[in-house]
Amino acid sequence: MMPGRVAQFLLLAAVGTAEAEFVAGDLHEEFAELAKCRGRRAARRWYFRQVLRSVIPLLTLRIRSGEFTRALLAASLAVLPLALLDRLWSFAYSQIPLKDGLDRAPALLAINVGLLVLSAAAAGSVLRTRPQAIATAALSALLTALVLRIAPGSAPLLYAFSALAAAPTGCVAAFRWRRSR
Amino acid sequence: MAKGEALGEFEYLVLLAIVRLREDAYGMRVRREIADRTGRDTSIGAVYATLERLESKGLITGTVSAPIPERGGRAKRSFELTRAGLAAVNRTRGDFASMLDGLVFPPQGALR
Repeated sequence: MMPGRVAQFLLLAAVGTAEAEFVAGDLHEEFAELAKCRGRRAARRWYFRQVLRSVIPLLTLRIRSGEFTRALLAASLAVLPLALLDRLWSFAYSQIPLKDGLDRAPALLAINVGLLVLSAAAAGSVLRTRPQAIATAALSALLTALVLRIAPGSAPLLYAFSALAAAPTGCVAAFRWRRSR
Repeated sequence: MAKGEALGEFEYLVLLAIVRLREDAYGMRVRREIADRTGRDTSIGAVYATLERLESKGLITGTVSAPIPERGGRAKRSFELTRAGLAAVNRTRGDFASMLDGLVFPPQGALR
């Protein structure tokens, strides 16, 4: 009998590497006891509530330990090439006379996404634990959204979605590939 | 006593729970002990944040056990008080006792 997947994912995203095993183990033990005496549904509700209430204290603990800063740094390095290229393409296009706004060619946008996958994969390959990989993937998606939001000109929807998916996917895929070797 | 050495209320409760539980003092048991005795339904995250703070102050020390199936194959970390931790508990206990000494409380409902 297992707790809900969403709750488990949320816990892994919030908890630091040092405490991950112990916190998850404690919750699992109490979940199993509750499931026996109160039923699986009640136990799952209890587990989800515990995780929700624990997110802020666990994140605070993670920030204090410096782990959050490392994840933020890795995510920033993953997204930095996208931010720089985006600026470069925008500038280059703004120099072309009689150009319709700042719309960029699909090939250039594809290069952006490709580079984002590569840099996110590079960041993901140096991560050591699953909670680190999940936190870095979530942060890189957030930073990508920020870069797209502040970029001048309008970005096609497909490009925005591809970039948003590319950062966390590249990061997690590289982490899993490295761990499997 | 220097600033930062005094125990917070929740820190004091966690330390007392560790003393009560002896060898069985790990996150979930500490959380339950506090809940059973005080009625406070605290989160496991709050307990771990406090345990980590107490450990960084040198008041408790942790030991990791082998993984067990009841915990989904995960290890557990049990805590015990250090000498400094015991001194902190005794000092706080003394502070409370001296503050309470001679106080007469009005019955409940007497005050508005």
